[in-house]
Amino acid sequence: MQWVGVDVGGTFTDVVVYDEAGGTLDVGKSPTSPADPTVGLLNALTKLKVDLAGTGRVVHGTTIGTNAVLERTGAPVWLLTTRGFRDTLEIGRTNRTILYDMRAQKPAPLVPRTRVVEIDERVTFDGTVLRPLREDDVRAALARVRESANGARAALVVSFLHSYAWPAHEDTAARIAAEMLPGWFISTSADVLPELREYERCSTAALNAYIGPKVGGYLTALTRALADRDYRGKVFITTSSGGIVPAEVAARYPVHTVLSGPAGGVAAAVNLGRLTGQRNLITYDMGGTSTDVCLIEDLEPALTTEQHIAGLPNRTPQIEINSIGAGGGSVAWLDAGGALRVGPRSAGADPGPACYGRGGVEATITDANVVLGRAGTDVPLAGEIELDAERARQALARLGAGLPEVGDVAALADGVVRLAVARMVSAIKEISIARGHDPRDFALVAYGGAGPMHAALLADELDMTRVIVPPAPGNFSAFGSLISDLRRDYVRTRLLRTRGGGDAAVERLYAGLEREARADLGAEGVAPSAITLVRMLGMRYVGQSWELLVRWPDEMSDGTLAALEAAFHRAHEQRYGHATAREAEVVSLRLTAVGAVAKPTPPRWTVTGTPAQAERVRREVSFDRERQRVAVYRRERLPGGTPLSGPAIIEEMGATTVIPPGWSATVGPWGELVLTRQSP
Amino acid sequence: MTVDPITLEVIGEGLIAIVREMRATVIRASYSPVIWDMDDFSCALFDPAGQMIAQSDDHPGHVLPMPWSVRCAMEDFQDDLRPGDVILLNDSYRGGTHLNDVTMLYPLFDGEELIVFPAVRAHWSDVGGGAPGSYSGLNTNIYQEGVRIPPIKIVEGGRLNRAAMALLLNNMRLPEDRQGDFNASLGACKVAEGRIRRLLAKYGRKTVLDAIALNLDRAERRLRAKIAALPDGEYVYEDYLEYFEDGALDPVLMRLTLTIRGDEIVADFAGSSPQVPGVVNSTLATTGAGVVVAVKAVLDPDGPINHGTFRPITLQAPEASIVDVKLDAPAGAHGEVRKRAVSVMLGALAQVVPDLVCGDLCGTSFPNAIGGRDARRRRDYVYYEAPSGGNGAWRGGDGPSAWGNIDFGNVRTIQSAEALESGMPLLVEESALRVDSGGEGTMRGGLGFRRAIRLLEGEARYSVLSDRAVLPPFGVGGAGPAAPVKVSVVHDGAERDFATPGKVTGHAIAADDVVVLESAGGGGYGDPLARDPARVRDDVVAGLVSRARAREGYGVVFTATGEVDAAETARRRATLAASRRTFPIAADEREAYEGRRGRHRVIRLAPSVASAVGAKTGDVVEMLGRHPAPLRAWVRVETDAVADRIALDALARRILGVAAGDHVRVTKLR
Repeated sequence: MQWVGVDVGGTFTDVVVYDEAGGTLDVGKSPTSPADPTVGLLNALTKLKVDLAGTGRVVHGTTIGTNAVLERTGAPVWLLTTRGFRDTLEIGRTNRTILYDMRAQKPAPLVPRTRVVEIDERVTFDGTVLRPLREDDVRAALARVRESANGARAALVVSFLHSYAWPAHEDTAARIAAEMLPGWFISTSADVLPELREYERCSTAALNAYIGPKVGGYLTALTRALADRDYRGKVFITTSSGGIVPAEVAARYPVHTVLSGPAGGVAAAVNLGRLTGQRNLITYDMGGTSTDVCLIEDLEPALTTEQHIAGLPNRTPQIEINSIGAGGGSVAWLDAGGALRVGPRSAGADPGPACYGRGGVEATITDANVVLGRAGTDVPLAGEIELDAERARQALARLGAGLPEVGDVAALADGVVRLAVARMVSAIKEISIARGHDPRDFALVAYGGAGPMHAALLADELDMTRVIVPPAPGNFSAFGSLISDLRRDYVRTRLLRTRGGGDAAVERLYAGLEREARADLGAEGVAPSAITLVRMLGMRYVGQSWELLVRWPDEMSDGTLAALEAAFHRAHEQRYGHATAREAEVVSLRLTAVGAVAKPTPPRWTVTGTPAQAERVRREVSFDRERQRVAVYRRERLPGGTPLSGPAIIEEMGATTVIPPGWSATVGPWGELVLTRQSP
Repeated sequence: MTVDPITLEVIGEGLIAIVREMRATVIRASYSPVIWDMDDFSCALFDPAGQMIAQSDDHPGHVLPMPWSVRCAMEDFQDDLRPGDVILLNDSYRGGTHLNDVTMLYPLFDGEELIVFPAVRAHWSDVGGGAPGSYSGLNTNIYQEGVRIPPIKIVEGGRLNRAAMALLLNNMRLPEDRQGDFNASLGACKVAEGRIRRLLAKYGRKTVLDAIALNLDRAERRLRAKIAALPDGEYVYEDYLEYFEDGALDPVLMRLTLTIRGDEIVADFAGSSPQVPGVVNSTLATTGAGVVVAVKAVLDPDGPINHGTFRPITLQAPEASIVDVKLDAPAGAHGEVRKRAVSVMLGALAQVVPDLVCGDLCGTSFPNAIGGRDARRRRDYVYYEAPSGGNGAWRGGDGPSAWGNIDFGNVRTIQSAEALESGMPLLVEESALRVDSGGEGTMRGGLGFRRAIRLLEGEARYSVLSDRAVLPPFGVGGAGPAAPVKVSVVHDGAERDFATPGKVTGHAIAADDVVVLESAGGGGYGDPLARDPARVRDDVVAGLVSRARAREGYGVVFTATGEVDAAETARRRATLAASRRTFPIAADEREAYEGRRGRHRVIRLAPSVASAVGAKTGDVVEMLGRHPAPLRAWVRVETDAVADRIALDALARRILGVAAGDHVRVTKLR
């Protein structure tokens, strides 16, 4: 049986195939086809001659939803909301995230004011219905929505006040909407995120609806295309929290896939850290369009529910990833003041960098690396794209015409790479230094098609001494999706005082959640013995608003709210250095259900010999503005354990690792390249 | 003094990271909704000289005045600080802002040497005084505003001073919650202590202190370079705060003379009104915060903020004035004084860099409080919100609506309606943008915010302390003013305004009454008749601007299908332009100000001029000369005033940038 992991990035579609019987890994990639990503995906599968009939699991990371939000190309969304609250999304919480800058603009809401319809209904915080919903009002409102959509199939969010406590009004409106707006993508806020705080809940639901049609359409097309090729299994999607869910779940809750792609890489990095004993890592995933970084402390990536995407709250659980628009395809350009800039706009897969010869004329980071000799042009990229050094040079020369003071094309190329490195260094500082971590205490795990090319340069700037390049770095995220477990996160909002005698309610609510979780995972084919359930509680002192996440105490000796209160006091003391004897309350009951899947066993590195035997060619490469003849090695022929001094270039399918002067590289037992800095 | 660049950055950013961690601790552990849900608090690190060495996304109104707090504390305890001491203060006259902001300073020693003060300034929901929430627009002295805490050692040698603590809490509403707020600040300081000790252990004291000094110098150099690029000169502007004397408006004057000399700025408030027995006074530290905010916002919004930023700026002000309050005048209006300082800075800077300024901000922090007894939850409650209004428009865009002003940090000024309702007997009936409240201009000012709150049971007291409730935020470059703050109470279906707009103390409200809060909009930028008609149409379609104002304010007329009627619009715009009144100026050096305790500018108009602008005695007019920001004055119609001319004193001519032979446009404020 084979397992297939796929990561559709902005530029390339990466595939990993694991053969369970042979314990072998095979990797491949193909250019992403933005108009219809299934084409690129199927191309990549064809290239690897994947036998879909003999495939047991296809797991897939997608950035379709993410890109739709970042590029603002999602569906038109209409919103039904409680009368008087038309401007909830527009107003937000009124806080200015960009301090001091009076020219800064508030991010525009996903649902413009003209597409919000108020409904006369009202529920209070404890679920009491103050003004019942009238179905006729809903029908009238939806008729107006239908009219203003003018025949288009779009998306609808229903977000009423206090729906986490009384979802019936939202459910009724959604049911009527399903009748009246066939083919529309419909989300209710309490279904997407049954939590207190109307703005954050509505924003999360609006994100879900905004990307729903795109993500859903894609997943349907993909499932059909795979079925057409005799795939009989389920398609799974990686989620922002680092787990996987079946495609039909992802289609209903696409907001959980906003960090789908990057989460796979982080899961793979944790796995690598466990294998190599390196427990503190900073991941550096640079693809064609963007760079994602994440800090992993003691093998635990930080999880959060307080992320924003493009300035909009997304309260779903997710790995804390910092993303910037800098990838190999990022375009270098001159701003109004004549200063050189790199990104965030990317030439993407089509037309791609100038050196691809597909019509791109603007200079990109990849073009700069070609000019510097760091990216070779004698072997086609992904086996099919011939790189044209002359086109890269011309593109940079055109850019350089506006920058006479920079000097020759090589100097400009060097400047483009330095600028890109500076931006990526800032992204890493934000998640490390800015959170009180010294990057020098971490190893940099570099992957993605362009990560290994710049990793040592980043490490130099951050004074980090160790870089790890995993095997098949261009397909690392796709590999990560194969080692991710099924994961579902559940939450119920219920205010329960710890001294209010609600002991039975806690168990009852959890029993319900656990039934739901077991049923969901069971339906996904997980055996009961493979299911792990983890309870977490959102708790606070009575009078506080923000809840602290508290682990369910291991020994619930008396199994009561009193024990939970004690656990909360301990957690509060640990987190904030103090606790009082006051009464606490439970705000939310959370449950994470993990369904373990069988995972690939990574093969050990068995290559022997000398590095000289791996040398493929020598070429001129620029470092610090000096061209030198540098040996280029084939990674797959490098023997384990023998250090290789820089400057050197190590090439493989889908990535090039640059070893600058002052660095050396050694192949580790799992085939990972360990780069260490020799001199300070 | 050298530190390698990476270490310099690691330490500099590391200190900011410590502040962020302090912030997270305060948010999560506080009891005042103002703190946990709205972020109305700040953390920072100071050196023993009171220099601010690190802050993060902190409230400028809190952190910028804090160096003064450290200096006041050090005056009292110079040689008497020991490890384990913790200082608490809120005295507006001795290092505080308004009394609600309670500040904790935590002297941190490395061995015997005092190294740094982690500090937390947090808005406690109540600090006693006459009205729930300690907010009240009609206070006449500081004793009514709450408990006044001079710098005291609330913890001495690690032992809590229980007597002092009991005395404080005994005089505040919801003492248990206040204890929680206190613990939250203490927790944050302890977190900072642990982190700073790690930093010292890792890099050594000398390297850390060197890095701090280098960071301050770097920030200073950066701002000095920006100031040096401006033309030298002296620029004057004036504006008002709304004081009521015996229930009648008696505006107080804030005057600024801004001097730019080389790479330095001097902000001199000479000529501002003496302090008054009302809530329109604040401390010089608060006034200075407004100055720094405006300098940063206009010249260098992206630069770092630490004590280096303050060094190129000098403040001067008359003692016992509205901008430098002394005993025993109220000091509750710190947000208002700070925002007015920003207003006069914008007015003056508009004369220097017209392309970089924006229309006036909403001009007030608009704090509202409702307090009462919650029978169902068996506890007292204090509701507090300070809804953001609009922001000024600038050359490149409209002002954002219902969004924190540049002097307000990252404060969430409104609560989640759901969170509010789950904790108090209140029901939020409406939460919306306020139509037509943005200042009309080529770029439109941001809209204000409207929230209607129903009291569900029992009785409660409502208080508000606001400004810009009579005099609206101004526009620049010929743009219109925004809508001022409005507050009313609906009782038995009838809506009632207050006799002293924006200034209310402990007004009794009954079950089912609805309090309606409307924050001010932001000033516009540029002539509204030059606004792209398509943008006006978009605003009308979105419901941000009414059809009536599109026609009357912007001169845009629509066809039956809602498209812009180009021909009618051109005609309408020509008519509106022709209806504007401009007059040549005349010099008149007689006393231009009057007032009881306050001071406001008076303009003497001949009956013919007054009737041409549609104004009568007591109306307020705006005059526009060559400078972008307008000058306001109260009309006095006098039969012997010079006819067909506008008589202005030398200062007014300077503010307007006009000389003999120039014209000024005169518009009555709506």
